[in-house]
Amino acid sequence: MDKVSEFQAYVAGCLDSLHNYALLLVRPPDDHEDLLQESLLRAFRGFDSFDPELPFKAWVFSIIRNTHIDRHRRRKASPLEDPLNDAQSTGMLYSPLFSIPLAPEAILLRQETIEHVRDGIRRLPLLMREVVELRDIEGLSYRTIATIIDRPIGTVMSRLYRGRNLLRTYLVDPRREDGHATRGRHEL
Amino acid sequence: MNCDTMKSQVFPYVDAELPTELRNEMESHLVECETCRRVVQQEFAFREVYITHLRPDPAPPQLRDKVTQLLAGLGAPTALARRPWYKVFLYTGAAVVLLAVGVTLGLRLGAVIERGNVLDEMAEASVEQHQKLSRGQMPPDITKVSPQAAEDWFRHRVDFKVSLPDLKSPNVALVGARMSRLANAEVAAIDYKLDRYRVSLFIMPEEAYNQLGLSEKPRFKILKRRGYDVIVWRHQATGYTLVSEIGSRACYVCHSPDEKFGGASLESFVRL
Repeated sequence: MDKVSEFQAYVAGCLDSLHNYALLLVRPPDDHEDLLQESLLRAFRGFDSFDPELPFKAWVFSIIRNTHIDRHRRRKASPLEDPLNDAQSTGMLYSPLFSIPLAPEAILLRQETIEHVRDGIRRLPLLMREVVELRDIEGLSYRTIATIIDRPIGTVMSRLYRGRNLLRTYLVDPRREDGHATRGRHEL
Repeated sequence: MNCDTMKSQVFPYVDAELPTELRNEMESHLVECETCRRVVQQEFAFREVYITHLRPDPAPPQLRDKVTQLLAGLGAPTALARRPWYKVFLYTGAAVVLLAVGVTLGLRLGAVIERGNVLDEMAEASVEQHQKLSRGQMPPDITKVSPQAAEDWFRHRVDFKVSLPDLKSPNVALVGARMSRLANAEVAAIDYKLDRYRVSLFIMPEEAYNQLGLSEKPRFKILKRRGYDVIVWRHQATGYTLVSEIGSRACYVCHSPDEKFGGASLESFVRL
């Protein structure tokens, strides 16, 4: 199999995931399809450096993320508008809202639908949603996620911990509009 | 290890991300502590019921087309330029031979694959429509109506028969209905709720179903796509697609659980 065919086969095998990740990162009016296509071109140009020991989609996720950041820098966007700059959301991520994980018993008893859980994940602030999706939907390891978001594993664990807890509060009380979550979404 | 430490590590434990030593400590603690054991069991149950079924949202067909076009244009000129001139003729000759062999041997296989692809595409499109219906991205044209009223509504809009049996159980509700498109045809889309689950029924005209070229057997084509169960079948002159998260139990939107089909239960009949 030549390089092009191999690359095409890899992309075809995970296009839903790649599309989903680009959609997660981009806010309107930016176009997630443009971001995905530019990232795929970059990925193809660097395909020789791809290590097949890693999941292909994880490698492209990191390219999508970096392309997204580069596009913002090219536009000289304000750091406050940088969707992946977590400086302004540090307080949100590390202030202890919960001492222990919320028990999922109530959610199990309510027999929520999978679609409802998926909608709850969509409501999470970007930085939490990103790690929750990479772990719980894409099934990536903590180490791989840390590589993608270019942060230590401890940061991945912290965001995952808080994201999952916040998701559970949404599922237990769907009308809840968490103050932290709301602020996070607007700032990000 | 105490209970607080255990609870702070319950996510990495369930995710199988703990170092062996810490994992062993936790498991020793779990043997002794019923409260912590219950916490961990709940986490595993939550994972089993929800997390393992989560899938990324499907990429829209138009994006798939764009990406296919983009990838089709990758690298072709440079790859050709790198090859010595005689290799171009060599590859071309080999391609012609392979093509001839492929055409000769692959026609039947192609037809089978084509049918499979068509069914896959049908299932994908049905799941996408189901997601849009249940998320409110495709609002219904009529809501809170009886099956009879929905039939009447469709009678003025489609030239094929839309037959909707009465609801057989108080657990089933007809949430709404609307016109939609599947298999390049106008179809009737009916959004039901069965207990807590949404079930979408798509009804298509005979010509559209025939164009899919699906084989008659099995009568009910049952597929799993993106965590959803899709059942495709024909009844008389009409094609149907049913999408849900609850397998053949979704058929209860039109049939009662104790209804028999040639002596067989609904579940076993669908799997015949």
